Amino acid sequence: MRLDGVCRRYGRTGPWVLSGVDLSLPEASLVRIEGTNGSGKSTLLRLLAGIDAPTEGRISGRPSSAFVPERFPAALPLTALGFLTYLGRVHGLRRTAAFKAGRDWLERFGAAAYGRTPLSELSKGTSQKVAVAQALMSRPGLLVLDEAWTGLDLPARSVLDRAVAERVADGGTVVFVDHDPRRLDGAPSAIYRVEGGKLFEFEGYATHEPGTAPAGPCVRIEAEGPPGAEPPSGLPGSPLAESIPDGSTLLTAPVPYCDPLLRSLLAANWHVRSVREEFLEESAGPAPETAPAESAEAASAVSPEEAVEAGEQAGEGSTVEAAVESGEPAPAESSEEPPEERVEITEQPAEKSREESGEATR
Amino acid sequence: MIALIHYQAAVLMGSQRWLPPVLLYVTLMGVVIQWDRPLLDSLGVSAAMLLPVAAWLVRISVGAEPTSSRQCTAAAAGPGRVHLSSVLTAYIGASLLGVAGLVYVVSVSDPHSSEGQVNVPVFPAVVAGVLASSACALFGTAVGALCNRPLLRSTAWAVTSTLLGALLVLVVSGSPANAAVRGLVTGSHTGTVNPPWGSAVLSLAVAALATALACTQASRRG
Repeated sequence: MRLDGVCRRYGRTGPWVLSGVDLSLPEASLVRIEGTNGSGKSTLLRLLAGIDAPTEGRISGRPSSAFVPERFPAALPLTALGFLTYLGRVHGLRRTAAFKAGRDWLERFGAAAYGRTPLSELSKGTSQKVAVAQALMSRPGLLVLDEAWTGLDLPARSVLDRAVAERVADGGTVVFVDHDPRRLDGAPSAIYRVEGGKLFEFEGYATHEPGTAPAGPCVRIEAEGPPGAEPPSGLPGSPLAESIPDGSTLLTAPVPYCDPLLRSLLAANWHVRSVREEFLEESAGPAPETAPAESAEAASAVSPEEAVEAGEQAGEGSTVEAAVESGEPAPAESSEEPPEERVEITEQPAEKSREESGEATR
Repeated sequence: MIALIHYQAAVLMGSQRWLPPVLLYVTLMGVVIQWDRPLLDSLGVSAAMLLPVAAWLVRISVGAEPTSSRQCTAAAAGPGRVHLSSVLTAYIGASLLGVAGLVYVVSVSDPHSSEGQVNVPVFPAVVAGVLASSACALFGTAVGALCNRPLLRSTAWAVTSTLLGALLVLVVSGSPANAAVRGLVTGSHTGTVNPPWGSAVLSLAVAALATALACTQASRRG
């Protein structure tokens, strides 16, 4: 998808909100848009999503799109699930598929109980979950998120983080605006800033170059492939792959990519030895050499998903280690048990944010 | 488009804002279309009453969806198609009302000329009534599409122009809607049926143009 010389103003004589915007959005990319209030971020997002047409310039190659507005207090005379079913059909799904996708996404966001509640009676956060579910259910080629995280509770935020990574891993393009500078920290492939109606490539935060260690919270997966095999190409999250002397490979990717990355590895018949979450500073070097010994001590029978969830509950900055018993995905256990029973949380003395993470866990 | 129309219809029906125009139509029909009134006269009058109701329904339908959810549907289907679906939903609603009105008119009216001397053939009269009602529903849709969002945004201007537009289209001689209605009402004096084919075709073209204009503007000013 490309924007060429896109300009936008409201009214015939209004000031230019955006002028001369050139932007290329490749497939499988995650793009963050920065800017102060009123700088034209939302206008740019509306142009990208096709809700608004540029006054001048042209936009070409837009795939199927979905948009999440910053506020979704939709006073519609429909239930949450009814709205999702209709929207799913507008997105091109069949009726039963739309109903099922709507139900599944509400469930993922912990709002399954509100399926039959009229939209007008939902709380702000639950409405926002409906708006996000609406956008994700059709697996759009372009997902545009205008501060979609605002109003969501913490578990729903990380579900959205992972859903965004899933879209990108699936070859989709995701463009987002969020006021939290740590949102999807280290994961975006490009960051742009809107200032004075112009768009600049922005270097203030770390972006993730394919095949390098991402800055920010990341997941380290120790995996072992068939003898002599290189890691599969095109892995989700473009992880940094380092060989470990014992013959396995250490893959490092931004945290939200954990699930799709594990899925790809397992699908390629790789054996996953351990999964842990770490916070890497921007100039992080190669992986610390703590992994194999400690992961062996961790309790057994933890599925990859559980390990990741436990890691996210522990908060940023902590290191969660969990051994995965075998390469095949373990049958999911009841995730209601507290993660501490199965996952050992090790605190590395060198890390600054260790105390916060400890509090967050307990 | 069918999915969009289903959605718009669900939003419109659930909002209950369709109630005032429908009640207005039902009341007017009840008052004006008396028992044993000449058939052609009744058909003309019922068609005329459909025009402002169609314009009002379009006004309600294009404004039924809140901005936030409209942005979601517009991203999924394109703002032009979303706007088209809301105009079509209103037109379908007006057509259903028109059909109900026609059934009522045919069942209570007297199939004679106004003076009661000439027999009026019912089937050709109904065809003429259908054409006149279609012309009026389409002209009402055109007025509603031109006088509301996205072309006119302020409520004061939109309401005023919708009302005035509907009235002008009905009363100004030379307007196809007026010609269709007049053809039926004057034909009633002599008992001759004048099927308003020209008006129906013309109104279809006008409604298509007006709706197309509104839909292209939906993304520019949405």
